[in-house]
Order: sequence, then C-alpha cells, then structure tokens
Amino acid sequence: MENTINFGIDLGTTNSAIAKFIKGEVIIFSNPQDYGRNTLPSVVSYKKDKIIVGNKAKEFLEKDPKSVVGVFKRKMGTAESFKIKSINESKTPIELSAQVLKELKTFVNTGDNLDAVVITIPASFDTIQSNATKEAGIQAGFKQVVLLQEPIAASLAYANMKKEREMNDGQWLVYDLGGGTFDVALIQIKHGEMKVLDHEGDNFLGGADFDQMIVEKFVIPKISEEYNFINLEDEMKSASGKLNAKYYVLLRRAEEAKIILSSKTSAEIVVDGFEDEDGNEVDMEITITRSEFNELIKSNIDGTIEMIKQILTRNSLKPSDLQFNLMVGGSTYIPYVRSRVEEVLQIPVNCEIDPTTAVAVGAAYYAATKPKEIGKGTGVKPTTAISIKTSYNKASKEKDELFSARVTGKTEGLSYRITRQDGGFDSGLKKLTERISEDLPLVDGAFNFFSFVVYDSQNNIVETDIEPIGINSGFGISGQPIPEDICLEVDDYDNPGKTRLKPIFFKNSILPLRSQAISFPLNKGLIEGNDDDFIYINVLEGSHLALPEANKVIGFMKIRGTQIKRDIAKGSDIEITISISESRDIIISVYLNMADQEFKQTFNPKERHTPVEFLKEQVEELSEKLDLEIEEASEKEDFETASALSKLKKEMESVSEETESLTSDDVTDKRYQLEDKKRKIAQEIDSATKNKRIQQVKAHYFETKDECEKMLDENGNDHERKTFNDIVAQESAFFSTNSPLKIQEKSDELYSIISRIRWRTPEFLVGIFKWCRDNQTRMNDQAQAKSLVDAGVFAIESRNWERLAEINSGLLNLLPRGAEKEATTRIGFGL
Amino acid sequence: MQDIKKVIVKVPQAYLDFINQIFEIEKKANNLKEENSIQRNINKMKGIMEEEFFKGSSTIGLTYHNPLGEDYTDTRTDCEATISGTGVENLEIVEVIKPIIYYSYLDSDKVMKVIVQPAVVIVQSKNS
Repeated sequence: MENTINFGIDLGTTNSAIAKFIKGEVIIFSNPQDYGRNTLPSVVSYKKDKIIVGNKAKEFLEKDPKSVVGVFKRKMGTAESFKIKSINESKTPIELSAQVLKELKTFVNTGDNLDAVVITIPASFDTIQSNATKEAGIQAGFKQVVLLQEPIAASLAYANMKKEREMNDGQWLVYDLGGGTFDVALIQIKHGEMKVLDHEGDNFLGGADFDQMIVEKFVIPKISEEYNFINLEDEMKSASGKLNAKYYVLLRRAEEAKIILSSKTSAEIVVDGFEDEDGNEVDMEITITRSEFNELIKSNIDGTIEMIKQILTRNSLKPSDLQFNLMVGGSTYIPYVRSRVEEVLQIPVNCEIDPTTAVAVGAAYYAATKPKEIGKGTGVKPTTAISIKTSYNKASKEKDELFSARVTGKTEGLSYRITRQDGGFDSGLKKLTERISEDLPLVDGAFNFFSFVVYDSQNNIVETDIEPIGINSGFGISGQPIPEDICLEVDDYDNPGKTRLKPIFFKNSILPLRSQAISFPLNKGLIEGNDDDFIYINVLEGSHLALPEANKVIGFMKIRGTQIKRDIAKGSDIEITISISESRDIIISVYLNMADQEFKQTFNPKERHTPVEFLKEQVEELSEKLDLEIEEASEKEDFETASALSKLKKEMESVSEETESLTSDDVTDKRYQLEDKKRKIAQEIDSATKNKRIQQVKAHYFETKDECEKMLDENGNDHERKTFNDIVAQESAFFSTNSPLKIQEKSDELYSIISRIRWRTPEFLVGIFKWCRDNQTRMNDQAQAKSLVDAGVFAIESRNWERLAEINSGLLNLLPRGAEKEATTRIGFGL
Repeated sequence: MQDIKKVIVKVPQAYLDFINQIFEIEKKANNLKEENSIQRNINKMKGIMEEEFFKGSSTIGLTYHNPLGEDYTDTRTDCEATISGTGVENLEIVEVIKPIIYYSYLDSDKVMKVIVQPAVVIVQSKNS
C-alpha cells in the first residue's frame, strides 16, 4: 500500500478533475465517457431509476432544472437544499458534491483503492463550507480527506513544473477565469510557507458569457443588416421562438470561433439553414477579427482588473511588489485576457502551466507529500458475492437489442452501469435489482461490446462473475456469406496487354454488400456515336489470385460509343460500384466522369449472363495464350509443363470450334457449357504455369531484396530497416501462399523502400537533375524550368540535397505528359 | 469478471476537420433543388477515407454517421446535445453541427468501431 495520499481532486463549480502522483509525475485521468477529455462537468441529474453525473446531466441543466442540479458548490455550507421533482426528494450540496466525487472515482483506471484524497476548495471558503466539502468526501467513500485552496494548488503545479519545490519568499497573484466563474487570489510564500493573503471573485463571469456576447452583440446585428427580420433576437433566444434551435447552433459556432481567435487573427462564423421574413435563404459567412472580439469582452476583463486593484490597495501593494500573475482556467487561453491584464497592471503574466488542469495537478503534488493516516486493513475492497446470469441475442440486425439479467446475491445499496465500448452509450448509474432489462443500442455493421459494472454505495467496483456482453450487429443473423471472391477484371499495368483480377468482395463476406466506387483512368477513348467503340466491365466469381479466364463471369456490361453523350478521352476516370443484394442480385453501376453519365445494370445469377460475342473473344484469347505458354515452356526445356499444356490443346481446339459455330442469338444452354469448359481449361493452364510464375516473381523478389539490403546498409534509416525486417520476417508466410500476386506485392513494398532511400541519395538526385536539365527544352514552362535549373545548380554546389529533391519534383512536373514516365524508366526508379 | 479492452484512438484533428467539411458539403448538396451528381463525389471521398487513409494497417478507416431525425436520450454519449425549445421529453435531433465519426479496425477478424468524434447536435422535444 502506498504511504502517501497521491490523489488530488479539483472539485470545481463548473468542472471537476482527478489526478494522481506516480513516481515523480502527475497523471490526469481522462473521463471515460467523454472521448479523452480530462474534466467532468459538476452537474448531477436524477431520474426515477438512475443518476447521471457530468456531460449528459449538463445538457439537461438549463431545460430541466427540476431534475438536474449544477453550480451547487456555491451553496456549500448553507442550509439550502435542492428539491428534485423526479424523485420527490431534496438533495443537499454535500450529497450532490459526493455524487461528483464518486463519478470521478470511476475515471481511475490504475486499479487503486481510493480511500484518501486531497480535495481543493476556493480561497473564499469559510470553515463551514470547508467542512461541508470534507463531509462530501467522506460520503463519497474516502476515509481521509485533506483540503487545499485552489490558488495554492495552481501555484504548486507551477512550482513543481519549475522543479522549485522551495520557492523564494515573495508574493504573486493567481488569476482564475474559467467557463463560468472568476477568482483572483494573492499568494504569499514566507519562510517556506505558502498562504492565501486575499481574494476576490465573480461567480457569474466566464467563457460562456463571451460566446453569448459574440452571438448577441456581433452575429445577430450582422444578420439583421443583411436580411429582413422583425425580431430576430427574440425569435432566437426565446424557448418558444421559431429560431431557438438556430440560436444554440450559433452559440456553438461562436465558441469555435472564440477558440480559433486564440491562435489566429480572424475566424469565420457560418450562418445558414433558415429563411428571413421574405422567404430569402440566410447563407452568410461572418468574419470576426480578434480586435472585434477583444472589444466585445473588454469591459468584462477590465472588471476583473478592478478586482485585482482592490486587492492591491487593501494590501498596500504596488504592482512591482508582485513576482507574476499566474493564469489559470480555460478562458485565460484568450490572448487579450493575458495582454490586457498585463498591460493595465504592469505585472508580468505567467502562462506556463496548463490552465485547465493546473488545480488538479497541484492537488496531486500536494497529496504526494501528505501521509496516509488510515490504518491497514481499512482499505480492503468491499467484497460482495454477486452472480449475474445474462440473456441476449449475440447477433442482431435491430437498432437496439434487449438485454436481460438475473442477479443473485445481496443487491441492496448496489448500483450498476452499462457502457458501450466505443463510448456511444452510457446507461447512467441505476439501482441493482434481481431482474434487469435494458435496451442496448447497437452500432450498425460492427461488433458491439458492452461492459456491465456493479458499484457499491461509494462507487467502489464490486466484483461479479459477468462476462463482457458482445453483440454482433448488421450480420450473422440472416446474412449469408459469399462462397468465392468477387472480382473485377482490370488492366495489368505490370504486364501490358494482359488483365488481372481486382478483388471487390472477399470470400465469406456477408450479404448484402456494396463496394466503394472503384475508379481508374480509361486505357482507351470512346467516340460518341461510334458503335465499334466500347468498354467492357467484367465481374467474376472465384479466387482473386487466379487468372481472370479461370473464374466465372457473373456480371458483364458493355458501354458503346452510341450510348454516350460526348466523346470520352483516354485517361479520363471511370467509376464502378458493385453491390450484391441478399438475394444475390448483382448491380453494376458505371459512371463516366467526363460525360457525367451513369449506366446501371442488374444481373441475376439464376439467369447466367454470357454474351456469345464476348465468349468468342475470350476463347480466342485463351487459345492464343495456350499456344504461347506451350512455346515458352518448350523453349525453356520445361518439358513437364509443356506436356501438361499440350494435353489441353485438343480440348481447347474443340471449344474454339464449337464457340465459333454459335450464333449470337443462340437460345440453348450451349454457351454456358462452353463457358464452363473454357474456364476449366483456363484453371488448368493456371495451375500448370503457376510454378513458372511463382519462380519468376520469387527471383524478382530476391533481386529486389538484395538491392534493398544494400541500399539500407549504405543509406537506410531505422524506420526503413524496420519495414524491411518486417517484410522479410513474413517471407515464409507469403511464399507458402503460392500466390504470385502476393509475392509480387511484397517485392513492390521492398521497392518502395528503395525508392525512398534513392530520393535521399546525392548521386541519384544529381543523376535525375542532369537528366531533367538535358530535357529542359521540352518543359512546359520554360521560365520556371530555367529558374529551377539555376536553383538546382546552386543546391548541388551547396550540397543541399533536400532542396535538390524538391527541385527535381518541380522539374519532373514540368515535363510533358508521359515524359515523366520516360524519366523514371530510364533512370530506373519507381515513383 | 472480465475486463473489456478499452481502445483509445487518437486520430489527427486534420482528418476530423476534413471529414466535417465533407459532411457539410453533403448537407448542402442534399438541399440543392437542381439535379446534380455531387453526391457521387461525396461518396468517393467517403470511400477514400474509409479505405485509403490507413491502408496497410489493421485499421479499416474512418466513417461518419449523420444522426439527424433520430431520437435522443441522456444515454446517448455518441452525441453532445444542446436542447432547444421548451420540453425535455421525447427528444429528437433537429440539427447536426458535426457528425459522429467512427474509427473502424479489425480485432481477431471482427469489425470494431470506436467513436473518435461525438456528434454535436441540437435536439428538440417532438411534443413542442
């Protein structure tokens, strides 16, 4: 067990945070329900069956004040309590604060047992208020609570950041301007003791007021200037006004603009999506400059400065008596706040600590110095024998899935909470009963995990035997897997004139399926009205590693010149989208970018789609391929392959003859039988020649590997070496696939390492530069080419290789289309 | 009790900003009355972010979801809501300022999603 407290909590009026001192550093725990944010809004919501603390409660604060309570810290130590209508009970500020503290406990993921803590309080808190805070800590289950004043905590965070635990005697200010409150404190350190000498504050001033000012004093007047509204401000601000939703949109946008203005000199606020009295669509982008924003908040900031002046007067101090003014709270990110305060008071502002977490961090540093005073044995986690039997569908296509559980054991005083792993659902803290049922919302198309956690009355986790709840959404119920890969036949750029298969859906993907648009440049043009010009789109079923001819055609489209609205140039983009319905209808949609035209066709596999002319063409191609392969195998004296292929020759000839004799409107099944035969032959060619292809790609792989290794030795960096080693480590795995494509893929990956290194190698860069210079006359922009060449000469002289690489790219870009490729093949690098 | 592996993902803010812009374009394109094929380009961009941004890793990519018109309750931690109007019962999402952005990845062949940006929405009671 640790001997010091180590945990510090900033129990703020609007936001709270928890931090821990671990081995000399402080870590701030992030809010598990709020996407990595470190803070928890200090707001509590009560519903009949549950308690919610934080963001979700805050959302309802303004509109449902009878069930949701915030800013209760201001009432600490008073007899006042808050009547909660939904549960028909009153809650004291202590109870509400205890809820916030308990929620903060759930942030801690280090497995610690939280029994002792330092909690911060405002400098203005009197003894009663301080004791009330302590009581809240005890109610939240802490056995030892040590209090610390917020400005002292912020100062400690600063001192520790500076590694000056023993600060020199002196005085400074802590200026704390947060989301909704402002506090300033005068701190003194004397003989090693730090204390608050004086303080001032405004409970109703903060960043949220600035957002409101942007909307009301800047944006609404601008909209009114441009458009006709009778009473825009009322329509927006009144809860029953027709533009009330827009008001909140504008507040959000104003907040974003405010944040941007901390780093940029102007920001845009988009106003759109509604109509004025004359029916004109409002659509404007309002620019707010930093100086306009500064002007809006000036009087508020000057108000805070007045408070500081009062402190100085009361304590007979001159600005020069103060070392610095430490900036704390999110609103001190605003540059004007910093500059204005410094300019008027002439006290240097200190912005060295993170203003949003400084108080929690300081509390944790302080906690590391405070010994735990709890006897051993008191920190044992309460154990309750709770057993939970769950029941739910493990796969679902619904938006929600009903989850039910039966709980055995003593449930009194216990609560549970269900959260979804992606962070999108939180049931809130609910009373644990013997039977539980809950609708769990599912994210479509993903595996949804939920955790079910049981807590005791102080939010300590109670061990149970429950397993994680896993529900597969979107598939697994009625969806069927596809039996083979579905591929598109595309040009094989590595083997000009040949095609290869691009997998669209992999085997075992679950229906229905829809691909993203696959786009590539057309390898030929189409002339409008020309019936001889056409493009084929061929969708096949079968292994994507096989040859296209070996797979079954399941969708085939032909777009002719007569169907298009205008000429389509070679190189313009074609986009293909393929979808397969649950009943296996295949829909191919082809879009020609240049013509802005779409072609769509549905294929039903029950009716096989085998156009005779396409079949003839394929058979002819296959026959030529077979001849070529036989010739090649014989030349290489690979008699085994040659003989295997020759056996197929006869069969091929008979298929060719029969196909040739088919008429284009043949109504028999003949074409399908022939297609199957053709496919079988192609599969056999594929397997007979696979060894040859594998050997070729393997040889190529080893050559590339040797070259890559050599380059790495000479000029490689650690990252490239790691990538290389990773590829080599997988060698046996991808060789064992026996797939030429897979091996080729790995060669390509090695080659890209080579290319990267080459682009840093002086000899290579100089080589390219010289080639470009020799081709300078062909460049598109002569003036630019000249200036780049001059710059290149200088870069070589000054050995500035990075600059030379940039210049080379610039020069290559100036080359006419196609010439760039010439450069890459001549010089021997792949770009 | 088994713990669920909590996956924390940090996606560069620039990617999220970029997706928020695509979302804005999609919203505007849907409001256009004239016939157009802008949606096609939007789908293309969505495809790139879903399939190309993280190519070569176990990550599938980024997708977004527009929750406009969906019901809203306080259990929805996938949205940051502001309530407009008067009622708080029977809430519906009436404005979406930012969409929900998911990061998808494969874990033992299961498609998993993590929210990297909750939606920013305005909600209103259906009763009002």
